[in-house]
Amino acid sequence: MPLVNNKVGDDCTVGTDQALTDGKALVDSLIKVVACYRHLASCVGGCTDSLQLRDELRQTRDKAQKLAAANCHHLTSHLRDKSLPEEQRKEMELLWVAFSSSLELLHADMCKVFNMGDIFSLANSAVFVQTGIQGGGSEVAARALSMPDLNQAQSPVLPEGLETQERSTMEQEISQVDHMITDMEMKVNVLRWMVESRGPQYAEPLNSTDSASLALLSMDEEQPGAEHEAARHHSQMLMMLLLLAVILLAAALSVSVVIFS
Amino acid sequence: MTIKNAMRDHGQRYRPRMACLKKVGSAVLLEMQDPKTGVKSQLQRLVITTIPHAITGEDIVAWLANKFNISAEEGRSLGTMLVALGYIYPLQDHKRLVVKPDASLYRFQTPYFWPAQQWPVEDTDYAIYLAKRNIRKKGILELYEQEQYNHLHKWMNHKWDFIVMQAKEQYRAGKERKKPDRAVFDCQERAYWVVHRPPPGTVSGMDYGLDRLIDPNAEEVTETDLIFLTFLWLPSLSCFLPRVKSSVSIGALVKFVTTHKNHDPFLAQCLPSNPWVTDDVSYWTLNMANVEIPTKMRVERWTFSFVELLEDPRGRDDFRFFLKKEFSGENLAFWEGCEDLKWGAAAGMSEKAQHIYKTFLARGAPRWINIDGTTMEATVRGLKHPHRYVLDAAQTHIFMLMKKDSYGRYLKSQVFKDTTKNAINPEEQKFTDAQLDQNARNRRPSLSPIAIRQMELEQKAKLAASGPVDITQVMSKLSKQGKDAPPPPPPKK
Repeated sequence: MPLVNNKVGDDCTVGTDQALTDGKALVDSLIKVVACYRHLASCVGGCTDSLQLRDELRQTRDKAQKLAAANCHHLTSHLRDKSLPEEQRKEMELLWVAFSSSLELLHADMCKVFNMGDIFSLANSAVFVQTGIQGGGSEVAARALSMPDLNQAQSPVLPEGLETQERSTMEQEISQVDHMITDMEMKVNVLRWMVESRGPQYAEPLNSTDSASLALLSMDEEQPGAEHEAARHHSQMLMMLLLLAVILLAAALSVSVVIFS
Repeated sequence: MTIKNAMRDHGQRYRPRMACLKKVGSAVLLEMQDPKTGVKSQLQRLVITTIPHAITGEDIVAWLANKFNISAEEGRSLGTMLVALGYIYPLQDHKRLVVKPDASLYRFQTPYFWPAQQWPVEDTDYAIYLAKRNIRKKGILELYEQEQYNHLHKWMNHKWDFIVMQAKEQYRAGKERKKPDRAVFDCQERAYWVVHRPPPGTVSGMDYGLDRLIDPNAEEVTETDLIFLTFLWLPSLSCFLPRVKSSVSIGALVKFVTTHKNHDPFLAQCLPSNPWVTDDVSYWTLNMANVEIPTKMRVERWTFSFVELLEDPRGRDDFRFFLKKEFSGENLAFWEGCEDLKWGAAAGMSEKAQHIYKTFLARGAPRWINIDGTTMEATVRGLKHPHRYVLDAAQTHIFMLMKKDSYGRYLKSQVFKDTTKNAINPEEQKFTDAQLDQNARNRRPSLSPIAIRQMELEQKAKLAASGPVDITQVMSKLSKQGKDAPPPPPPKK
């Protein structure tokens, strides 16, 4: 933390740069948590719905709300600062739009989970829809909560009155998020039509090493059987090439050792 | 509990026709998926792994037919409805949302992706899904998806960074899950978007008509309203309400139904074929307004009542032709002028009224109509301050005159006999299943209403140009030159 002794020079831009990076980090983590929440929410009502899933949902929700409150605080305080330079203000506004969109997604997901809780209550687990999902959402929840491993002591029996209590808490939380969205709109005036996105139109393809394994599993549309065969063949070819390359390297190394010794 | 955000809620969000979704979801589907009494589930075998909870089409149809005690065909269409609404999705041939009564596999959709009446599907979610699909398929989206993507990029540009980031995060979160679950989730999401953003050329089960301001599921009359109604309002109104005995009104309904029941396309057989069922539009093209030769059923409808004859544009043309032969066309022309005044734009109303007066009502008018003295006096008085309904009394008089006199003669006339003789009775069309599919695919939108209005105006202009017969000139010419004078050229109107 630098000594805040110098009031001259680029202190203000340094400060706002720091604020920008902070804001960006906060928004990124909120987006991550919202994405994980969506994955977890898609399991509600399915055959893997359980107390553990609801617990994970609750934890993810709490984390999301904490992040949202922090974000709200951070962004509103900076955007209401009139002395912000233009460039920084544009960046802040981008962050603000991202924040409000993720908050809307979170709100929608929370409403859906709340409504589904009505129909699929844990007490009557016979109605859970057989969706074909087999594993739970523990890994996703772990990602959301940034904890390496979730050690859940799963209570086998549903405590009395837990569900109604949860439902009332959830109602409150949903209205809180609602208020946050309204407050944000009121306090900060961001003209959405003036905000231009800076990123690429297409998301870059991510790490490609998992694509081969996914192709093995993909129940792909056009020709399921043929594509499986092609994919398997493709991955086999890849392995052969890799092996060949390793052998060649080893041969080259041994040759050089022989020459130089 | 209604969760509202006044900022984003513009009030128009109730989708009335989707009220059926609650019944389908909570009632039928939960019973269907019961492991003991529901549809029998099996394993789906993939290359490496097996995924449980797959059901075959024939099992679905059999279960529905058994449960609701209906025929297999109805069970099949009920199953297709479930698939079209998105409660069950096909595992093979995922773009065609139908139930095939064979061994093709289906699976239940997770409740998160069930369609809901209160939440319309957001474009933001669709954009995120397309971005994710782009990542997964390495930039190869289908053509319509590509177009949608570009369109959304243009309209949601301010959110685009968020959308790309969210797509990446969701993709990464998905990778945390086990591979079979990941595959199932991808299928679920893909099926969800096939239902809600259908590929071009397919029909969506989500067509719901207009949004509404009032929640159709809410109670309409509250306690206080009820008390107010029963004790204060209705008793005072009841002395002024016009009353009809139910025997009379029901008798009228019964009479209407008995006369028209063979003409309804859904109650009786529709020739050539019912367009709503077979997607073949020849029924509509044969019954267009300005068609040369009407169908037999249409001509039969003209005999039911005078109003039917006048309402049908082709019937009105025929009637006009008959009256022209009888030289009493001014009655119909006056009636049409009054209709034009009643329903037309308010701008030219006084000019229209004056024109009608000059043409039909004034003494020595070229197309003078014969109405009784009291009505004429009242009309002329009213024309001093013309309004929309100033010619109502005269119009009713002329209408009754035409109905009692000309209509009867028309039905016995040669014109009508010729029309009946020439009327066509189209053949019934029988389509095979393949042809029905072909028809569904070749559905095209009908003629634009602008084009139809244009045609109507042209026809009206042609009618006006071909000119009404100027009765005064004809009479004067006849009286001057005896009977061999040709009718004079029509005066410019």
